[in-house]
Amino acid sequence: MATPDPDKLMAKADKLTKLSFTRWTADWKNATSLYEQAAIGYRFRKDNEKAKEAFEKASKGQEMISSPWDAAKHMESAAALAKEVGHWNEVSDFYKRASELYSECGRSQPASDALAKGASALEDVVPDEAIQLYTDACVILEEDGREQMAFDLYRAATSVYVKLERYADAATFLLRWGIAADKCHAVNSQCKAYLSAIIIYLYMHDFQQAQKCYNDCSQIGAFLSSDQSRCASKLFSAYEEGDVEEIKRVAQSSPITHLDHVIIRLARKLPTGDLKELNKEEAKEEVLDENDLT
Amino acid sequence: MSVIDILTRVDAICKKYDKYDVDKLNASNVSGDDAFARLYASIESDIDSAIQKAERACQEKNRAAAVALNAEIRRTKARLSEEIPKLQRLALKKVKGLSKEELAIRNDLVLALPDRIQSIPDGSTNGAKQTGSWTSASHMEIRFDSTSDGMFESEYFQQTEESSQFRQEYEMRKMKQDQGLDIISEGLDTLKNMAHDMNEELDRQVPLMDEIDSKVDKATSDLKNTNVRLKDTVNQCFEEMRCRGNRYLDSSSSLYCICISWVQDILRSYSVAAHSLYYCICNLNGNHGWLACYRECDVCALIIYLDVFLWLFIVTNLDVTYLLAETGPCMKAFAILQNHVGCY
Repeated sequence: MATPDPDKLMAKADKLTKLSFTRWTADWKNATSLYEQAAIGYRFRKDNEKAKEAFEKASKGQEMISSPWDAAKHMESAAALAKEVGHWNEVSDFYKRASELYSECGRSQPASDALAKGASALEDVVPDEAIQLYTDACVILEEDGREQMAFDLYRAATSVYVKLERYADAATFLLRWGIAADKCHAVNSQCKAYLSAIIIYLYMHDFQQAQKCYNDCSQIGAFLSSDQSRCASKLFSAYEEGDVEEIKRVAQSSPITHLDHVIIRLARKLPTGDLKELNKEEAKEEVLDENDLT
Repeated sequence: MSVIDILTRVDAICKKYDKYDVDKLNASNVSGDDAFARLYASIESDIDSAIQKAERACQEKNRAAAVALNAEIRRTKARLSEEIPKLQRLALKKVKGLSKEELAIRNDLVLALPDRIQSIPDGSTNGAKQTGSWTSASHMEIRFDSTSDGMFESEYFQQTEESSQFRQEYEMRKMKQDQGLDIISEGLDTLKNMAHDMNEELDRQVPLMDEIDSKVDKATSDLKNTNVRLKDTVNQCFEEMRCRGNRYLDSSSSLYCICISWVQDILRSYSVAAHSLYYCICNLNGNHGWLACYRECDVCALIIYLDVFLWLFIVTNLDVTYLLAETGPCMKAFAILQNHVGCY
């Protein structure tokens, strides 16, 4: 069978779907298969723009004939082509629509995967949108009770935050990761997430926040008795003593080297700023306390 | 009489007449009156016995016994050293029947005593070098036997030189062991982390596997059902064809012949198509022989034959015997399909 010209197929399909005097109902079934063929033909010809459009229309067709799964698949293809073309807002729209269609089918994993693909496509270009997509993907999985699958998403989102230097957000996200890990009893991941959050706070030179974070996390028994919490307490004591060598040594120690590479890079750069300042701050706080007592 | 008998008799006689031995009496009397002399005599005898013990300890093969003897000697030495001040005091006392020179001599004797006592070998100079420093240390701590530290240090100086080397070696080995243990601990940390991650990954995959399991079970049961139905259909067709074939065996009009030839052409073209498909599949599978290929569940191609057959049967009501004669492979395929389906 000779492959007919995709343009002709598109034209034919459009004719089938356009309602006119002679045609009262659109023939979506045939139109959809024509659109699909046209899309494949365009893709073969590397005509990404037209292929993207064809996939879009094919997806709409599939929706009309009530098969959201195929519709979602076509949407994803369209989104991938949009990425090639460089229409970034279309990328995010298409992936979001694909995710919605997958959720309609009741399949949360592909839905979240679609959003994750979108996010990774947009990471470099529109990072805020990427973060939003990652967060939504995590939410979808958590609602379905499959938090374990979300770990990769958390990791990717954290690395985007760190790249954007939004460290407070990164630390908060890590704590969310800790909660997710707690729900599925992944103790190792939970402790690693908490240690990473503490390191980020220290990198931001926010010692108080780091201490608070450590105290909060110590409420959790699993973290309290873990290697990671011991490492954190060593780090804190090194900070309090103002011993730079000790801090560097703890940063080279094994619990930290087993964290994500983004966090390791931050840890290697510790300590940021002047340690004596921290001590002065602490002394000031003590003075205040004394005043309160008297 | 033997020598032994003589000796014993002489001993007995001497003992009997000891009380008549003036020198001995004098000696014992002298020491009996003089406290100094008495003490001095006892110290002398102790020193002699200690020296004898030291000699025995040197010769002793059994280390434990040697150590015990040395310990005894040391205790004796310590005791004697403690008694020396008493002796000194007694030496200064004036005793009747003693000249001034004799007093001086006594003083000298007393002064010479400490050296004599210290010179008694107690095994710490020659004996176990390793325990030398240890014993000195233990002596430092358990003070009830010693009087002054200075004397011991000077005595044990040699040991610390020899044992310092050992101590150095010990420290070096300890350092090397520590290094080795550090490396091992690093490796163990990595292993522990990897094991934890693997654990979590497996936990993650367990529900996925369960899903796969249930889906595949469903697919298998569907396939079984389909195959059973297919088998029934194929058997039915076969039965019908056989019946119809018998019925049309006698009729042979020209129209039928034309139809048959026309249909056979089509069948041949289909057959050719199916054969080429088989050959392609055979090449892909690396088999030779299309019959072997049939056995490898190429239901798609078999169904082409089946399609053709059914079409023929339904549309033209053909004389099946001709068909059977002309399309041998077709029937073979049919039979094999039956068998293949039959195994479900």
